[in-house]
Amino acid sequence: MRAAQAGSASELEALFRHHWAGAYRAAYLVVHDAAAAEDIAQEAFLSAIRAFDTFDRRRPFGPWLHRIVVNRAIDWARARALRREVGGEQLAETPARPEPLPDDLNTETMSALAALSPDHRAVVVLRYVLDYSPGEIANLLELPRGTVNSRLRRGLDALQERVTRETS
Amino acid sequence: MSEDRVRSALRQVPLPDETGAAERAWRTVDAAFEARERILWKRRRRGPLVALVAAGAIVLAALTPPGMAVVDRFRDAVGREPSQPALVKLPAPGRLLVVSPEGPWVVHEDGSKRLLGDYEDASWSSRGLFVVATRGRQLVALDSESGEPRWSLSRTEPVRDARWSGGGLDTRIAYRAGDTLHIVAGDGSPDAVVADDVAPIAPAWKADSHMLAYADAAGRVHVVDADTRRQLWRTQTVKGVRELAFSGNRLAVSTSTRVIVFRRGNPTPFLHLPRGHVLLDTAILNFGGVLYADYDPQNDATALFRSDCTIAGACLLMPDTRMFEGPGRISNLVTSPDREWITAGWPAADQFLFFESAPRRLGKVDAVSNVTAEFSPGGDAGGVFPEITGWAPPSP
Repeated sequence: MRAAQAGSASELEALFRHHWAGAYRAAYLVVHDAAAAEDIAQEAFLSAIRAFDTFDRRRPFGPWLHRIVVNRAIDWARARALRREVGGEQLAETPARPEPLPDDLNTETMSALAALSPDHRAVVVLRYVLDYSPGEIANLLELPRGTVNSRLRRGLDALQERVTRETS
Repeated sequence: MSEDRVRSALRQVPLPDETGAAERAWRTVDAAFEARERILWKRRRRGPLVALVAAGAIVLAALTPPGMAVVDRFRDAVGREPSQPALVKLPAPGRLLVVSPEGPWVVHEDGSKRLLGDYEDASWSSRGLFVVATRGRQLVALDSESGEPRWSLSRTEPVRDARWSGGGLDTRIAYRAGDTLHIVAGDGSPDAVVADDVAPIAPAWKADSHMLAYADAAGRVHVVDADTRRQLWRTQTVKGVRELAFSGNRLAVSTSTRVIVFRRGNPTPFLHLPRGHVLLDTAILNFGGVLYADYDPQNDATALFRSDCTIAGACLLMPDTRMFEGPGRISNLVTSPDREWITAGWPAADQFLFFESAPRRLGKVDAVSNVTAEFSPGGDAGGVFPEITGWAPPSP
């Protein structure tokens, strides 16, 4: 991080490679839209670069980045849920890039996640994909610890039910 | 059933085009890193000046400025403070660029202003170190603090719509000379023609990249790589294109009635005004949300709406948040560098409006009156209302 702040492109690339997969996966699991997830993760890195010169080097980079990613993903997912998307209006739609066909377990996992609210999904992703503790999640999302625990419990129950059903 | 199994399931979900996404993002991030300008923060002793200006503002605020009565109808609804009779400070860090018949003015956060010279139009460089101005057939790059010209070039056709991109030593300016689109390096050379027969609207750069969008005279929007002049993609014909703006990887194309968002040429309708209404202006907010000015000619009134839906998540036909409304036309929407505030010009009230871009609620609204006289000192009453052309970061 310090080397990247000092202007080292190679160190920046190392930082990017280290954090990209987690950021992209976290965004995708919250928004369930590959293009949006790519934009969200990319914008988070761009925000980080814009703030490089003022970033406190004593703070770890990962939580800072993940806070941006998850909050933006929540905002996007909420907006998507609240608004009705409509089609063409005389504009030809080109099919989106084909996405890999998930197997049954992945389908169940994604549909179980989709049944949760964006806020619940975010907590689950932070806990089980990015490995933050409930206390750290509470700090990242500025939520009471009890709220984090209850969202984790509900999310875990929903996922366990689906995943167990599929793997049993 | 353990947490480990859930953890494993979540980590096994395949990500669409994971490698391609990483490479595309890395190219963008790398380009942004190369283009950034490092900011050296200086602390300035401005206490006495701020105190003096604030005291003056308190005295003047007791007066009733023109236009205030009109605005007050909306104060309760949107939490607007009483209007200020002069632009004594900006609500957010940064500097405004305001163009009046006198020329372009740089307005600092403390309200102090500098007239840059006798130019017709002007816009900021990406980091606000320079201003690119036009005068007749001339394009001029100016130091934003001193107003001193750094270089200029002349063309045989009138020069318009100059837009700056990039930072440090890697900068480019796109501009129109007549119906020809040019790109010139930030140091004034070399200059190259990108396209002929372009529409009379400003080109738009994708932030921190070399991607440029422009509309041709037939209404097709093209996105090109500024270095190679190679077309990356283009849209089908869009009737009445008036404004182009990038938000991340998406391009918002505005007409007089609607906004269409394109991602690599694929269109998604974003906004369509009611029949008979006119879309005066749009501004992209934090994370791709949009503020837009909806003018109703029958009532001669403009309503400013905020769509919290993002450019990335296209949407339509759902009620948006009404931020403000007033008689006449309200437009000229410009966002602050941190995109936390938006300013708008309201000629009927002779006011600049400043809106706090608070998510999911109505934010604060500040109004500043008497702006025509403020930017045309010594000019006639009934002068030309000034135009805000940009809001740049604070001086380095």
